[in-house]
Amino acid sequence: MSNYLDLSIQEINKLLKEKQIKPIDLVNECFDRIEKNKDLNAFITLDKENAIKKAIELEGKEVDNPLFGIPIALKDNIITKDLRTTCASRMLENFIPIYNATVVKKLIEKNMIIIGKCNMDEFAMGSTSRTSYFGAPLNPWNKERVSGGSSGGSVVAVASRQIPLTLGSDTGGSIRQPSSYCGVVGMKPTYGRVSRYGLVPYASSLDQIGPVSRNVYENALLLNIIAGKDELDLTSSRKEVEDYTRLIGEDIKGMKIAVPNYFMSDIVDKEIKDKVNEIIELLKEKGATIDYIDIDFIENAVTIYQIIVMAEASSNLARFDGIRYGYSCENPKDMEDLYKRTRQEGFGTEVKRRIMVGSYLLSGENANVYYNKALQIRDDLKKSFEKAFEKYDLIIGPNATTVAYGINAKLDDPRQTFFDDALVMPTNMAGLPGMNVPIGFNNENMPIGLQIIGNSFEEAKMYKLAAFIEKELNLNLDPRGENNG
Amino acid sequence: MDSYKTTVGIEVHAELKTKSKIFSSSANNYGKMANTCTNVIDLGYPGVLPTLNEEVIKLALRAALVLNCKINKTMHFDRKNYFYPDNPKNYQITQNRTPIGVDGYVEIDTNNGKKKIRIHDIHIEEDTCKSVHSSNKSLLDFNRAGVPLVEIVTEADMSSAEEAMAYLEKLRELLLYADVSDCKIEEGSMRCDCNVSVSKTEKYGTKIEVKNIGSISNVGVAINYEHDRQIALLEKGETLKEETRRFDDKTNSTVLMRVKETGNDYRYFPEPDIPYVTLTDEYVKEVEENIPMTADKRKEFYLASGISEINIKKIIQNRTVSDYLNKFIDKKINLVIASNLLLGDIAAYLNKYEMTLENTKLTDDKFVEVVNALDSGKINSKIFKEILEDVMEQDLSLDKILDNHGVKEMSKDELLDIIKNILDNNEQSVNDYKNGNDRAIKFLMGQIMKETKGNANPTLVTEELTKMLEK
Repeated sequence: MSNYLDLSIQEINKLLKEKQIKPIDLVNECFDRIEKNKDLNAFITLDKENAIKKAIELEGKEVDNPLFGIPIALKDNIITKDLRTTCASRMLENFIPIYNATVVKKLIEKNMIIIGKCNMDEFAMGSTSRTSYFGAPLNPWNKERVSGGSSGGSVVAVASRQIPLTLGSDTGGSIRQPSSYCGVVGMKPTYGRVSRYGLVPYASSLDQIGPVSRNVYENALLLNIIAGKDELDLTSSRKEVEDYTRLIGEDIKGMKIAVPNYFMSDIVDKEIKDKVNEIIELLKEKGATIDYIDIDFIENAVTIYQIIVMAEASSNLARFDGIRYGYSCENPKDMEDLYKRTRQEGFGTEVKRRIMVGSYLLSGENANVYYNKALQIRDDLKKSFEKAFEKYDLIIGPNATTVAYGINAKLDDPRQTFFDDALVMPTNMAGLPGMNVPIGFNNENMPIGLQIIGNSFEEAKMYKLAAFIEKELNLNLDPRGENNG
Repeated sequence: MDSYKTTVGIEVHAELKTKSKIFSSSANNYGKMANTCTNVIDLGYPGVLPTLNEEVIKLALRAALVLNCKINKTMHFDRKNYFYPDNPKNYQITQNRTPIGVDGYVEIDTNNGKKKIRIHDIHIEEDTCKSVHSSNKSLLDFNRAGVPLVEIVTEADMSSAEEAMAYLEKLRELLLYADVSDCKIEEGSMRCDCNVSVSKTEKYGTKIEVKNIGSISNVGVAINYEHDRQIALLEKGETLKEETRRFDDKTNSTVLMRVKETGNDYRYFPEPDIPYVTLTDEYVKEVEENIPMTADKRKEFYLASGISEINIKKIIQNRTVSDYLNKFIDKKINLVIASNLLLGDIAAYLNKYEMTLENTKLTDDKFVEVVNALDSGKINSKIFKEILEDVMEQDLSLDKILDNHGVKEMSKDELLDIIKNILDNNEQSVNDYKNGNDRAIKFLMGQIMKETKGNANPTLVTEELTKMLEK
């Protein structure tokens, strides 16, 4: 079997243009790799038949863009017409949508080939992907470890080199934290940069679709085609789409970078802090200025995140009632029984927990005490970030407080999962773009990632720094034994 | 018994006359085959998002303005969370904290003069599906899901069935004339829920809500029924509980639906999928300036034009007639004649052939010609009746039609000649007249009309004849 999928996207694009390979070669190789990596459980649904059909269809077409004919997979909360979309839930186990998400339309327009749907936490609720109805995906660096979540499958598929690109979604770190755990590049764009139309919502005011890739450049290429105003999503921005690769390769000399003190506090493992400090030294050496700053309310992010996310989720998930689509309990006695049993049997424990807590948080006076107050603090946090960005180009720090932990660890404390994301949630709260770029490994050879946070719509600047670090470190991020080292 | 005071508050839902739904591009159509005006958004599919139909904002703003409301220039939508099969997302997108209009009023006529019914608020929301129950099955029609509504909530300011009905008539007239809603209660595009309570003291009594009332007159029936029912219970020493009742138009009574439990918990929160809407001062001004003339302004104007009160009432009841008439306001035609024509001969013609004005050949110019011809005495109403069908059906000018009917324009000189001639030939009658025989003039008139073949304006003839006889 060929190894075209180990080549860079630019190299593949060149081969396709020169007709040395065909899209079908990539598709076959991709499915071959997926077959070999079945144990990682990165996929929920594969669409081999249509992928092959599409690849053959593309043979007659001109290779007109860098992502032409490239296989891609999507987190299973992104709606795909005629292709099962489960949200990793029993509730949607047999749900075949009748429309396409806007991002899916965009991928199809660029003639990318959709291979399948990636595993995730049920309805994106979790930070380990263990709440999936289809079982957890495994970390390719150590199959005893979690992949992170909720976009675990999307990240594992790329990290294990089954596919070069995937899409994930990030509500409170769900792209960046697993990217950090698995050693890939993951971007959560500015809220409103990518249309949410067709993303099954978890928390509407925070959700954002973003690219997962092997390297920085390819990540920017994918953002180029999914970004932009969508008339079907009122929260999408009219801000013009730029070429997100355009600053890649530029010198970082003179860049002003801030490190929030909270990001380097005791909540973060020492090994991770050491790695981040090495990067800080590197950047200083290359002419960037680094300041340590305080960002007011950043330590409240986890608390307000939980309130906002669960409140919105309780409402967003109300539509799963067994009437129009999805799971419906057998022989309901009456309406109430239909609601109760459908939701009791269709949702997993974590989803039910969050719906219940969310309903409580919005109930009666609680809406004022919790939800509205959380929105106020969120505004305050946003302002703190805005203040920082008056002086700094970018903010950096770790993405996760630890490396990927054991697959059987800590499932008993439902709050812990939120604290896994303490460093990534503030970005969502402020609507800012955040990304992960791998910066090395701990002593157990588990990946460590750097978080880069940009000002709104300054993804290009983030890619510039990330690409610089990537080039300087030149890490081998391929976990496969035979190619590793 | 009658020391009890009745208090009524009313909630009205009115569907807005937009082409498409509030949050999707589906058509807003009544009476189409079930589930043909729907899409994934109306069905509440996973992952879909609402868009916002700007026409809805415009019409709701108009409604808020004609209800004299203060406008919330920065407003947002809220989610009202409750489970019900007719509620596709199991939350309804509505406005809770920032309704588009607050603190308005509607002025009604009562036996004791004018009275202001205060409007607590008017807010925008989406309609639910229609449920149809047949035997042991319930069916859902999503054509109505997402149809734009305004909900108009009064303060508890009405104290009788008559006031409630007057309020609803007035509200209907306001919304209809502002082109906000077609307010067809029978099609459900206007729905009223009444809150009725009775009390002997200053404190309000227990609030009973009555739903499902299918006409304005039945609102009166329902309120009177509740008034009697509640007083009878109180007189028996019973305590009333807050409850929701349904009006039954077969028995003209109300039937218990459910007892209200501790306040509904709708878990309202701001809809995160729709950004805040800002109404600029210029926008509000523009919308205000483009509100069609209200019924009250029309009445004033018609009265000043000399139209009778009876005809004014008829015109206002028929929006098409009023709009047609208003087209000629600037043309300085005799509106009394114009309205008589529209309500009389033309209305009869349209009724007879089941037609509307638009599909006749009566152009605006031709209408002006007709009205002016009648006004100047060029033709009389008898002639108009003769030529009516041609006026309505032929693509010809009035003159041409008159020509075809052999109706020649008679100059005043011609007329005077004819009168003189008749007088000369009927000396006896002239003398009879001078001797005080009133019947003589009738005979002379008849002779003249015969001679002119009815082409003369009788008023003019009488005038000239009298003048000549008095000489």
